[in-house]
Amino acid sequence: MSEALLLYLVIPLVKIVVLLALLLLLVAYLTFFERKILAYLQVRIGPNRVGPRGWLQPVADGLKLFVKEDLIPTSAQRFVFLLAPCLIIVPALVVFAVVPFGEPFTMAGRTITPYLADVNIALLFVLAVSSIGVYGIILGGWSSNNKFSLMGGLRSAAQMISYEVPMGFAVIAVVLMSGSLSLVGIVEAQRAAHVWFVLPGILAFGIYFLCGVAETNRNPFDLPEAESELVGGFHTEYSGMKFAFFFLAEYANMLVVSSLATVMFFGGWLPPLPNLLAPLWASPALVWIPGVVWFAAKVAVFIVVYIWFRGTFPRYRFDQLMQIGWKWLIPLSLANVLAVGLGVLILRG
Amino acid sequence: MTFKDFFSRLIPLDLFKGLGVTGAYLLKRKETVQYPEKRLEPSDRFRGMFGYDSERCIDCGLCAKACPINIIYIVDHVEVDPDTKKKRKVIDRYDIDVKRCMFCGLCEEACPTEPRSIWLTSKTYETATYERNERLYFTKERLQSWEGVTAFPGVVSPEDGQRPDDPTGKKAAAAPDAGDGGGAS
Amino acid sequence: MTAGPLTPLYDSDEMELSFGPQHPSTHGVLRVMLKLDGEKILDAKPIIGYLHRGTEKLFETMAFPQCLPHTDRMDYVAAATNNQGFCVTMEKLLGVTIPPRAAYIRMILAELQRIASHLVWLATHAIDLGAITPFFYTFRERDAILDLFEEYCGARLTLNTMKIGGLPFELPAGWLERCSAYVDEFPSHIDEYEELLTNNRIWRQRTIGIGVVSPEDAVEWGLTGPPLRGSGIKWDIRKVFPYDRYDEIDFEVPVGTNGDTYDRYLVRMVEMRQSVRIIRQCLDRLPDGPIMARVPKVLRAQEGMVYASVEAPKGELGYFLVTTDKSTQPYRCHVRPPSFVNLQMLPEMVRGHLVADLVAVIGTLDIVLGEIDR
Repeated sequence: MSEALLLYLVIPLVKIVVLLALLLLLVAYLTFFERKILAYLQVRIGPNRVGPRGWLQPVADGLKLFVKEDLIPTSAQRFVFLLAPCLIIVPALVVFAVVPFGEPFTMAGRTITPYLADVNIALLFVLAVSSIGVYGIILGGWSSNNKFSLMGGLRSAAQMISYEVPMGFAVIAVVLMSGSLSLVGIVEAQRAAHVWFVLPGILAFGIYFLCGVAETNRNPFDLPEAESELVGGFHTEYSGMKFAFFFLAEYANMLVVSSLATVMFFGGWLPPLPNLLAPLWASPALVWIPGVVWFAAKVAVFIVVYIWFRGTFPRYRFDQLMQIGWKWLIPLSLANVLAVGLGVLILRG
Repeated sequence: MTFKDFFSRLIPLDLFKGLGVTGAYLLKRKETVQYPEKRLEPSDRFRGMFGYDSERCIDCGLCAKACPINIIYIVDHVEVDPDTKKKRKVIDRYDIDVKRCMFCGLCEEACPTEPRSIWLTSKTYETATYERNERLYFTKERLQSWEGVTAFPGVVSPEDGQRPDDPTGKKAAAAPDAGDGGGAS
Repeated sequence: MTAGPLTPLYDSDEMELSFGPQHPSTHGVLRVMLKLDGEKILDAKPIIGYLHRGTEKLFETMAFPQCLPHTDRMDYVAAATNNQGFCVTMEKLLGVTIPPRAAYIRMILAELQRIASHLVWLATHAIDLGAITPFFYTFRERDAILDLFEEYCGARLTLNTMKIGGLPFELPAGWLERCSAYVDEFPSHIDEYEELLTNNRIWRQRTIGIGVVSPEDAVEWGLTGPPLRGSGIKWDIRKVFPYDRYDEIDFEVPVGTNGDTYDRYLVRMVEMRQSVRIIRQCLDRLPDGPIMARVPKVLRAQEGMVYASVEAPKGELGYFLVTTDKSTQPYRCHVRPPSFVNLQMLPEMVRGHLVADLVAVIGTLDIVLGEIDR
């Protein structure tokens, strides 16, 4: 077939299918891993009955949610009620189109890049698309026609919006250090600079990760969805697969934050000390480890840290949460931008 | 705010210590007992399912009087033995409504026979049924055959075996060299 | 009782909300009618009675020894101190002194129960505020205590572990060693909980300054137990009106300074350590002898009225008994539950706070609905 067709249609289609399949499977199994790891933190074993050692638990959960009765309250706004779960999960998955998973490799004589697209404003794309997810929450809370869902949805939306500001500022520090908005470019810049950006940008990383935890409504910032609080949150009226979408979207967002943190601060698919230890990584014992494995390992560490946070900390009250975001993180991130800018100016002339 | 205060607010050492406490548990051994494949053994004095021995029972009715919720129903009549002209009490019904029982053990404490004729230290707790009114009302025959009750492994039903020897420790307290204060049945 | 709106006319800013009775964090079936202005609480009215079982009426129909299993079920988290309260009251009525061995064993059981109850408090309080792991750690320790109880009296929760005049059973073989081993190991676990929570900035922000009770208010409203001691007043029934030989044991009564949730948390943690100290002393000094005083098999009381109280983990648990001459049953038995009196202070404590603090305050009062509703 013609080169153009292959290059612009077939290969991307294959990549999309593979990526979507892997992502959805991973997001479903994240529920299982969360339950297992949380259980291990809590001196117990997690699910271990369904399937060998519990590995079929997500299948059982998915089947259960499929066959659950699909309730739509009669006084709810039907179209918006059905639209909200889509609005929340689609942006979370679309972001993965620009995340680089590994370095280009050759297969059947042509170079294949293990990412869907290398957009030169990838970071901006990511921030913009993930903000659309907030619409899903607001619309979900509002269309349920339930004053507690509305309150929960608005609270959650307020939290997410206020934590996007310091997140953006923290990301600016990375852009300053790398000089490029493209995610592939950021990883390459870390290789060129001989150091992962977490070391000069430790404050930026801290702020980014904290904002990431708040964005995804996870402990210690999970008041909007806490069960022991008054309002059930924006997903009170949802049942069945639509309810599942809200939770899958939360896990997908966790993956997004983790992947971005890996790419921006921890070198993406690069092994530790890529230039210094280049002979080590090229040695026959280790050369077969592809970049994807390093990437996956780092993302896994972040997910474990997410779950670890959930298992350890109490949760903040809503006004305390907003205080931290506005009074502490924004000035800190601005100061961080100033400092990194000065550093880059001095060090690179 | 002093420098020290600022840095201690910025770097949350207390939070890291908390993470350390829970993180240490990730690698520790878990002690979950997988029921129903394995069961933990209740202690010797565990107040479980009733056992009743009509041979030893002297029909004094003290257990029924002691019960706070009056779930022991005793119906008896006096029989005159034609040969010796002696009067005897014969138990018609000795029923326990186990679905209302709170397993307080006052009936066992009140029983005067030695060894007791009604006991609940049988380590057995698996008495669940699907139907409540018939299956959890134990007549004299069912109390002795333990029909419908899953005995704890090692415990034999009253029909076939003995009851625990000294569950309350009184004998052991009286004679301290008698060994363990509670024998299993 | 149908609960209508709190007032027939209200401001357009106010919203009325019914918190419970089925709610994960109300520790039972408690219903709180809240009057809210946005998130701020203007008024809270607790509505109880969902767990009323007529225990006090039942007491009037049962003989004295038969009342004991029913006392377990009032404060079902801490059954041994309920039993102890009833036994102490009956012994005061009948004029019976229990033998020293029985008194010491009773103290051991009561202090073990205090630790177990405080562990449940810590678990539920932490889980209400979002920290989900201390629950599992504390219940692991509590399970060990319940195992000790099971070996002693045969049950884990509704113990029926004491008898009027002493104790029903002698200690089983090896119990003292096991209890001693447990008590030696337990303070390291309290350290673990403290490391997770006491200096944790999130915990401190959620509990410092919440639900402040001044000492004068605490005395006026009749608070007892850790809420009273958290406000700075040193009042413990075991020290003030000692029963069961508590006057022979050396222990301290912790008090707080500010009267907020954090202080009550600290008071209960120190109380657990002091319980360990008491158990250690009782184990070391356990005398030999009988475990039961000479009481007749069928208890008949003389005419009289008596009130006696014990220091339950939640506060002062009192029994008021009225008997007629030569009766085998109480004429009237009223129970003064600590949670009932402490709960009365709830509206005062949450006024002006946010809804998220209501959960913290209910947790810090440590209420058990079985005791409140009886």
